[in-house]
Order: sequence, then C-alpha cells, then structure tokens
Amino acid sequence: MNALIIGQMAVSGALMGLVYALIAYGFQLTYATSKSINFGQGELVMVSAFFSLTLTNLGAPYWLMVPGGLLFGALLGLIVERAGVRLALEQKSEGWILLSIIIGLFFFSAAENIWGRDDRPFPTPISADPINIFGVDVTRLELSVAVGVLAIMGLVELFKRRTLLGKAFEAVSADRDAAELMGISATRTVMLSYGLSGAVAALAGILVSPITTVGPTMASALILKAFSVAVVAGLDSGFGVVVIGMALGALESLASFYLGSGWREAPGLTLLILALAVRPTGVFGKAAIRKV
Amino acid sequence: MLRQTFYGALLTAALGLHAGDTVKLAITGPFTGGSAPMGTSTRDGAKLAIAEINAAGGIQVGGKKMKIEVIERDDEAKNERGALIAQELAAMNDLSGVIGTVNTGVCMAGDRHLQEKGITKIICPAAGSASMTQWSKAGVKDLSIFRFAAHDGIQAAMVVEEAINRKFTKVAVIFDSTNYGVSGRDDILNQIKLQGNKLQVVAQEKFNIGDKDMTAQLLRSKAAGAQAVLIWAIGPELAAVSNGMAKIGMKAPLIGGWTLSMSNYIDNAGKNGNGTLMPQTFIEEPITPRAKAFIDGYHKTYHVDRIPSAVAAAQGYDAVLIFAAAVKQAGSTDTHKIKAALEDLKAPVKGVIATWNHPYSKWNPADVTTHEAFRREQVVMGMVQDGRVVFGNAADRARLIKEAAGTPAKPAAKPAAKTKGKTK
Amino acid sequence: MRRILLLRGAELIVFALLGTIPLLVVNPYALGLLTLLAIYGILLIGLDVTVGYLGQVNLGHVAFLGLGAYAAGLAVTRFGLGMVPALAAALVVGLLLGALLALPALRLEGPQFALATLSFAALSTTALNELESLTGGAQGLSLERPPLFGHAITPAIFYWLCMILLALVWMVMRNLLSSQWGRAFEALRDSPIATDAMGVGTYYHKVAAFSLGSGLGGLAGGLYAFNFQYLQPQSFVYELMIILLLGVVLGGRKSLWGAFVGATVVVLLPNLLSNRLLFHLFSGAGFAVALVSGLRGLLKKTTRPFQAFAPVVAMGILAIGGFFVENTEDWRKGIFALMLFSVVVGLPEGVMGFLAIFLAKLFRMPPSALPEPSDLDVVLPPRAQGDGPMLVLADLRRHFGGVKAVDGLSMQVRAGTIHGLIGPNGSGKSTVVNVISGLYTATSGGMSLRGAELPQGSLNRVARAGVARTFQNLQLFSELTAIENVMVALKGVYKMPLPLVLLGFARLEERRAQADALALLDLIGLKDQARTKAKDLTYGAQRFLEIARALARKPDLLILDEPAAGLAHPDVIQQIEIIKRVHARGVTIILIEHHMDVVSELCDQVTVLDGGKVIAEGAPDVVKRHPKVIEAYLGTASGPAPADGAEPLPA
Repeated sequence: MNALIIGQMAVSGALMGLVYALIAYGFQLTYATSKSINFGQGELVMVSAFFSLTLTNLGAPYWLMVPGGLLFGALLGLIVERAGVRLALEQKSEGWILLSIIIGLFFFSAAENIWGRDDRPFPTPISADPINIFGVDVTRLELSVAVGVLAIMGLVELFKRRTLLGKAFEAVSADRDAAELMGISATRTVMLSYGLSGAVAALAGILVSPITTVGPTMASALILKAFSVAVVAGLDSGFGVVVIGMALGALESLASFYLGSGWREAPGLTLLILALAVRPTGVFGKAAIRKV
Repeated sequence: MLRQTFYGALLTAALGLHAGDTVKLAITGPFTGGSAPMGTSTRDGAKLAIAEINAAGGIQVGGKKMKIEVIERDDEAKNERGALIAQELAAMNDLSGVIGTVNTGVCMAGDRHLQEKGITKIICPAAGSASMTQWSKAGVKDLSIFRFAAHDGIQAAMVVEEAINRKFTKVAVIFDSTNYGVSGRDDILNQIKLQGNKLQVVAQEKFNIGDKDMTAQLLRSKAAGAQAVLIWAIGPELAAVSNGMAKIGMKAPLIGGWTLSMSNYIDNAGKNGNGTLMPQTFIEEPITPRAKAFIDGYHKTYHVDRIPSAVAAAQGYDAVLIFAAAVKQAGSTDTHKIKAALEDLKAPVKGVIATWNHPYSKWNPADVTTHEAFRREQVVMGMVQDGRVVFGNAADRARLIKEAAGTPAKPAAKPAAKTKGKTK
Repeated sequence: MRRILLLRGAELIVFALLGTIPLLVVNPYALGLLTLLAIYGILLIGLDVTVGYLGQVNLGHVAFLGLGAYAAGLAVTRFGLGMVPALAAALVVGLLLGALLALPALRLEGPQFALATLSFAALSTTALNELESLTGGAQGLSLERPPLFGHAITPAIFYWLCMILLALVWMVMRNLLSSQWGRAFEALRDSPIATDAMGVGTYYHKVAAFSLGSGLGGLAGGLYAFNFQYLQPQSFVYELMIILLLGVVLGGRKSLWGAFVGATVVVLLPNLLSNRLLFHLFSGAGFAVALVSGLRGLLKKTTRPFQAFAPVVAMGILAIGGFFVENTEDWRKGIFALMLFSVVVGLPEGVMGFLAIFLAKLFRMPPSALPEPSDLDVVLPPRAQGDGPMLVLADLRRHFGGVKAVDGLSMQVRAGTIHGLIGPNGSGKSTVVNVISGLYTATSGGMSLRGAELPQGSLNRVARAGVARTFQNLQLFSELTAIENVMVALKGVYKMPLPLVLLGFARLEERRAQADALALLDLIGLKDQARTKAKDLTYGAQRFLEIARALARKPDLLILDEPAAGLAHPDVIQQIEIIKRVHARGVTIILIEHHMDVVSELCDQVTVLDGGKVIAEGAPDVVKRHPKVIEAYLGTASGPAPADGAEPLPA
C-alpha cells in the first residue's frame, strides 16, 4: 500500500514535472544562442493556449489546431526577440530581462481583455479516464503530455543535428564570434531560437491546458518552476531538464504527502539553493573553468 | 448610456467639479488579475443597477431626482492598493458610499480608513468572517461598514449540517492557502464543534493558488478513509481537486463554499463535478421574470454569454438597489445619514436575489449580524448536475416555489442565494 | 564646489518641501501616498545596492520587505516592544538574513543569482504562511502603531518619521557609496576576478553589499507594517518584486535620486489611471516627447532606428488606444507595459540617468577639480635592489583532467629584474600565471615569494602578499573612470572604519586617494583622461591602465600578461616605455609576451615553456638561438630562423 502510494505520488509528480521540463527547454534554446532568456515565457504559454482554444472553438480539428498554435507561439517568440531582446543584446546590456518581463505584462493584459479573466476548459480528444499501470493510476491525458514533451524535444534536437539551419544554430551556440566569421548570421540564428522557443512554449500550453484549464494566470506558477528546473539542470543540458523536471515534480508530490501540503515547495527550493551553491552552472551543466 | 455615465463620472472627477446634483458612489474590487472574475462581475452587476436607476431619472433625493455617479477603483486584490484606495475615498468630501471588495485581506487593510471618516461601505462580495468580526473585537460602537454577502459562518454551518444529514462520519477538510481558504477551514472546524462533533476530521490538506496536481492531498484523504471532502477554495483549483479525485478513483462528494458554483469550477470539472454541493444565493437561470431581466441585461450590456460569477453580479446589483433605497429614505447624499437609513430601512427592496425587508439594524458589537444582510434562510444548498446548479434538497425548491407563488412581498422565487468571498 | 552646492541644495530643498507638506496639506490621501513614497524610497535604495552597484538581478528583495514587516509586527504584537525597537528589529532581521542568503548565493551570477534569490523569496512566503501559530498565516496579522516616546502617532507624525528615516538612509548611503565601498561594489559587478586580484575582498564586499541592501529592505518592511497595520504573506510575492525592479530601472540605477523617482512612479502610476482626462493628457504628452526625441535622435544619428521608433509606436498605441478602450482600468497592466517599454527602450539609463546629463548641461556643472598628483616616490617608493630570488617555483604542476598544462616547472625570478616567460600557444604560460596569482590551485609543487610560502588558490591572498597582475583579456572595471579604476586597487590608503565611513568621514581619505591615483595615471600618461570611463578609453590606453591599476597595489612582483597583445606599433613603443619606467622604480616584473622584440628589449632573463615544461632559459639573445626553442615555435629543428615575421620569433 505504502509503496503504491509513493509510486502514485512519484509518477503523478514526475508527469507534471515534464511540463516544467518543456518550458525549461524553451529557456535553454534561447540561452544557447544569445545567453538571454525570456522572462515572459509564461505569457507565451498562456496566450498561445488561448489562441489554440479559439481555433478549436472556430471548429478547427485537433491536428490543425496544434500546428496553428505552434505557429502562433513562434510568431510571439519572434515579437519578443525583435522588440525586447535584439537591441539589448546589441548594446550588451541586461535590458532584455526587463523588456521581456514588460512584453509579458502586455501580453497578459491583452489576454485578460481579449479572452476574459476567467479560467476555461480546453477540449481535447484525449480521454481523462484513468488507466491502471502496475497499481498506479495514470490518465491518458497525462501520458499524452509525456509523449508530446519528449517528442518535440526529440524533434528539435534532431533538427539541430540533421539540418543545415540546425547546425548553424549549434555553431552559434558553441562560439558566436567564430560562427559569424564563417558567414553564419548570429542575428538570424537568435531569431530562429526565439521562434523555436515560442513554438515550444505554445506546445507546452496546448499539452497542459486540458489538465490545468486556460486562464490568464495559468502559467504563473508553472513558469517559476520551469525557471528553477532550467537553472538547476544547467542552461545547456536538454537531457538535464528532463531528469531534473521529473525529479522536482516527484519531490514536490512526495513533500506535500509527507511534510504537509503547505510545505510542498520547500524541500525543492532549499535543494535548489544548495545545488546552485555547490554547482553554479547547474547539475548537468558544463562546469566552466575560470579563464582570464 | 452606461458609457456616458462613466465618462461623466470620470470627467467630473478629473475636473474636481463638485456637481451638487449627483450621488457619488465608489465601486472597488479587483478588476485585473486572478480575482478579477468576481471583481468585474460585482462591478458590472452594480453598474447595471445604476444604469437602470439613472435611466429612470435617478434617485428621488429630497425634492429632486439625482443620478448616481460612479467612481471605479481597481484594488488588484492587493492589500496595499486597497488601503490606498480607501484613503483616497476617505479623503473625498462628497462621497455618498462605497460598494465592493472581493478579498477579505483588502477589507482588513482598508476599511479602517473609511470607518474613521464614517463613510458608508457595503462589503460585497467578500465573505470572510474576519472583515466584520474585526469590528466587534475592537468593540467599535458606531460602525459604517455593512456586508452584503452570505458570510462564511452561514456557509460553513450549512456545509457541516449537510455532511451530517448525509450520515457521513469521517471527512477531509481541504482548503487553499489564502486568507479565504484558511479562514474557511477555521469556520468549518468551529461548526463541527458547535454541531456536536459528529464529524471526525481525518485529514486537513492545503494547496496553493495555481497548484494543479492534488494527488498527494487526495491520496492522504483517501488513505485516512474520508467519506466526504469539505472544501474551501476558488475556481480552477477546485476543478483540479474534482478531476484528481476521479483520477485516483476516490468516490466522495465535494461539499464547500459558494465558489463551487462558479463556471470556472463547473466547466473545468465537467462530469467529475456532478454531485458537488454548495450553499447558493443566486443561479444564472431565468426562472423568474426579475432574474430573466437581470441575466439578459447583463449578457447584452457586457457582450458575454455567461456571467463570470453570477453570484457576485447579482449581489452587486442588489447592493446598489439597497443603497439607493437608503439614499432615498435619508433624503440626502450625506454618507452619515445614508448609514443611519441603512440601519433602519423601512421600505422593502425588490432585488434579483430576494425581496429585502429591513436587511440591517443598528450596529451591536456583540452581534455582527446587525450589519449582515444575509440570513441562513436566504441561502439554500445547490448541487452540480451536468454542468448546471440545481437544488441539493427538494424541500428547499418546494419552499421557494411556494413562497414565490404565495407571498409576492417576500423573496422572489429564486432558488439559490449565493455567497461568495474569495480572498487571496 | 558649485556642483556640490547645487546637489546638496537640491536635496535640502526637496526634503524641506517634503517635510512641510503635512503643515500645508490636510488631505490624508495625499499624505498616505507621500508616506508610502518615503517607504518605497528606502526600499528601492536598498534594492539599488544589488541591482545597480552589484549589477545582479535580485528577485529576493521583496522577501526582506516581508520579513522586516513581520519582524516589526511580531515585535509589537507578541513581545510588546515599542516602535523604535521594532524598527531596529526589522533592520537587524534584514541584515542577518541578507548575510545568510549571501553565503550560498555568493558564487552565483546572472540567472543563477536571480533564481537563488527568487527561491529564497518563495521560501520565506511559505514560512510566513505556514507558521500560523506565530504569524497568523494567511489570515494575516493586525497591529496597532505603538506610541512613539509617549506620543500617539498621527498620520503626520508617522509621515515625518518615514521622511526622517529616508533622509538618514539617503545620507548614510551617499557617504558609503561615494567611498571605496561603493567603488568596490561596482568593481565587483564589472569584474569579480580583477576585484579579487586587486586585493579587494570580493567575498566580504558582496556579503556586505547584499546584507546592507537587505537591511534597508527590512527597515522599509518595518515602516510598511506600521503604515498598513495589517500584514499578509501574500503581499510579498513575485508580482510586487517585478514592480520594484522596474521602479529601480525606470528611475535610474546607481542613483539615490533614481530610487526616489522610481518610488514615485511605483506609488503614483496606479492612481494616474483613475482619472481619464489626466490619462489622455499624459499619454498625449508622452507621445509628443517620444516623437520629438525620437526624430531628434534619428537626425543626429545618436540613436538607432529601433530605439527611436519603438517608444513612438508604444506611446502612439497608448495615446490613440486610450480613446477606443471603454475602461482604462481594465487595461492597467497593458498601459504600464507600454509606458515602461518606452522608457526602458528610449532611456536605457533611466529617468535620472537622462535627467542628470540634461541638468548637468543646464547648470553647466563641472565636476569638482582633482587634486594635484602626489609625489610618485610616496605612492610607489623605489625598491631597494636586493639580489636574492623574488619568486621561486619548485616542480610546479597543474593538471586539468588528463591535460598537463604545467608539468614540473621550476624557475627563479631574481629581485629587480624583468623576467620573460615565453612559449608557443598552449605551452602553459597563462596557466603558470594563473597558478602564481592564485586563480588556480597548483596540483603539486611549491611557490615562495621572498622566501615565504606563497598562498595558493586565492587571488585575494596572493594580491595581499605583494603580487599584482594584469590580464591578457582586459579585466578593467569598465563602468568606472580611469582614476576610479586605480583608486579601487590603492593599497594602504583606506583606513576609516565602516561606522565613520557611514557618517561621511571617508571624504578625508578620498582626496589623498585621488592624488595618489593621479600620480600613477601620470606615470602611464593618462592623467588627462582621469575622468574617462574605462570602456571609453582607446584599446591602448586600456592596456596602460591595467598596469597603473596593478601598480596601485605597490607590488613587489608585477606579472604582465601579454601587455602588448593587439597593440598598434606606436602603442607598443609607449608600452615598452611604461614598463621601463616601472622597472626603474625597482619593481620585479614577470613578462609574458609574444612580441619577441618587446622581450628582447626589456627582459634580463627569459624562460621558454613548451608542453608545460621549461625547454630553455637564459638571456634573450641566447634563448632565441636555442634549437629547442626554434623547434617549438616553427615545428621543425632544421634551418635557420626566418629573418623577420613579427609573430613567432625573431625581430
């Protein structure tokens, strides 16, 4: 019984953790090329989810709605890059932190006024009925989240390794100056990374919405956790975010079971500060040798 | 029409004109952010009533008809904004009254400024007990703060009573970590004691706003053998609880605060929400002509096909009617005289929730109900069924239909009253 | 002088005006806003220490506001303390917890630092919420203002209390930030490694800065508690944090006035939207300003097209959209976003950063004159020519995993000489330097300076032992001026204890420090550019400045890491001249260099490395002809060295 409960907790938490991992992956994509992350990523998740909901309400079938939502997310990512990030990067200032927050704020306000302030259900063809695997209850919906998360991450990684554009991406990540010398446009690669990151955020929104519902504040709790996952895993390890995301999700579930639900986040946060103190570049990040 | 009033209000305020021929009424609440569905519903319900009153020429004050001028303030559900807004309102010389506030914390932080200046305020729809009990604790002799919402004390009593009537003995209490949730928990525990400790609380579980995975809390409750879940929380998280129960195969009814009737619970829980019970004051269903007019008016004016929080909207609407009645009786826009009139309202007010007979009386620090409009009998138990709220108990339905048919002066036949209160 | 008078005068006038307001205005609302302005002023000054001076995105400040507020609230309600001890408790809680958080957060920067502080904020909200028996949890804590010295506190008295505290904080912080402390904070932001290498304790300063900022947050929290008299943990969350952060950036970083302006905006902006007419006027004016300044910037080519257009578009949306939107309150967040966007893009230095330039022009305020340079013999006394070894390396090794970057190196540097260290790329020169200067710990082997064991693995301790260095990739404090770069590193000048610094007595030392630093700038020929920011100097001048900064340590041993790298020919000649001048004062020098002509001209002795080992040693001319050296550089043992070619070898 007890082992089953622990299993149930760990599985439920870890599946939710995969959503953190996906949003964290979006952070990594932009960090790789530009050393910047979009602090308004949560709003991208939310606005894309609302947009996809609208598509569905207009009668678009699921297979059409998903690419539509992803495109919209990519578009938003490009807006963030153009309006908030590019100038700051050119000036080598940290202005992108604030500008990305500000743009997020604007998206939030727009969503409140366009789609309303209330949470709404997100229809999905995937059933929410539980199925029992080795005594642990899981819904198909949760499984679809896991599959979707791993699939898109796999696709993006494949894209980075197998296509010319993707290789340019890798080149800029590895050494921006050298890549520029080889004739690769860093600016366009950064744009590409923001577009991809936006699409990833949109998918996160589409996948998680049937579970969390769609509303202006749907992503505010998610995003802080995704940020934690990205930094603790290391801002350059795609594999790391999956492991850390699932671990954090499971830890939260178990903590709320054993310590009391109010303290749900406390062990994760404490471990997080300690992990950073021991390994500032993240658990799976490359340890940097200080160079001068 | 509405827009004109609104612009007019702002313009006058902007120019600092002391237009002597309007009744200035402030409406506050969270119009942006997480509590906004309740804040905007209250505001829009209230403005609907104001638009109707103004369309009819205004309120008869003394010798002349005066229109109501609205001053809107968004407190963002933040205590400090609430306190600042209260200071601002308290500093206005010609303000007749204030209606609003969704969050109990905002009442706690702000109302003292209004009370100091004796400005009449009708709290609507914050239901947390503390926003009125703070005044009895402080032993205030003369209070200008009223409430128009079924406070948590009434609701908790009904929830516990319902659980006992349904022969449950072991219950789990689940609540969110906000002021609303925690004080709801206290009210429930208190009521269980008051009603003879017939229920054993086998689990007390908490969650944060934004949490969507309730597996841990529910597994603990299930393992402890809970037969019912008494719950105090808000909208989307409530739905997550219902969906989580379905997932782990926990078959226990959810009984909780009025927020379980909000569409963000019912829609998001879907069929998992069936059987959920909650105290109600109003349901968005055109059962009576009065309700139909209100609901249609709301939908048309605000271009929506459903009210985000029908309870909040109806209470905002009725609160304005009651306030207007007090202005008329006082024959003055002076807030102190309006307060006195509210404490002794002579004419019944036909609202959309009920017909209000003498809703308030002279403040007595030992008895907060003197400034509470809602009584136990104005609230019924509602139940979610296939995406709608219906009567939880057939007897209530029969009683209300009989009342509506038999005695026109008494509450218009409305099934449910609701109370709301969401606090962050 | 004129400048000081104007600045102090402006401060006095503003505070005097603010002080008399309660006598003139009876509107409690206005008074409430101003009280909040004072509280936020203190809060933002504290936040500016980390965000502006340390240059880190601090997302934990709001937690200190909350912890301070609860400390004061609990002191009053649970322990029955008076207002003054309660405020003191709030301050102390902020200081202590700030120091505590600084310990694990110390090694972190950028996103990692932001996350560590964010986590701390989330943890403290959880704790305040869950410790119900102590804090009242989510249901909040109500408190009354206790009397102050027996007087009941009216709103006016409370306002004065807040203003007095703001003025005090203002004064103290001005004194601190204009002293060596403030420079050290900024140095830390620009280059922690160089700060360490200049013997300024990074650890100590970072903890101090963070703790101080947090202490102010705590104090502001105490006032917050007495202002609102009702506390809830949920008030102190991420959303408020973002607003505070925007306030600091909007007002202008590294500026007390900026914090004040930021606080004003944070307090007043929400009220602006309450009034439609005011909103139209404001957005219209904003649009006009953005349009005019954008066009001007474009014509003068001082701004990029995006920087000129984006604010115009944003303000345009605001001004025009304002007429179409039924209810501006509904769009509150969007309106803020548009305004903030315009300011952040259009005025990257914040409102005060922009105004400061403008006002300085308006009042033609020249910076106060610099003192006469000190006598160089005082700043850098000539060394007695000893003849023993200055530095001895014995069988030194440093391995990175399997890579043996330094593999059994032994060498001696005689006192008073210039010792060249050369070798092809990857030969281990830089690693040797990094081991000696303490950036890396040696895997094995010994090092001694003047016969005493040299500390390992700490730039700071090595610097204090008497070794100074420059960096191959420049590590200047780029936002500081040339003279400030030197002043940060000055040894033996700053003796004032912290309490006296806070009271403003550091000014006595400042003149002396300026004079000393100026003498060193004179030595390298940059005296006339003392007030130029390091980042605005020419590349050559930056290289010279690194040497002046290292000399401020009055070192026994100076390590120059490729001082001529990337320099144009005339600059190389000047650099040689400078090094000769330094050498003439008896400073022992280790010179890592690729330019063989520089090495030949300057060095008394040369050690050649390859593969982490010494392959030759001796006078420059001898070494140059050594077959192993030629092989190492040219990859072949045969043939004579080429006659010319700047890079690898002969000259």
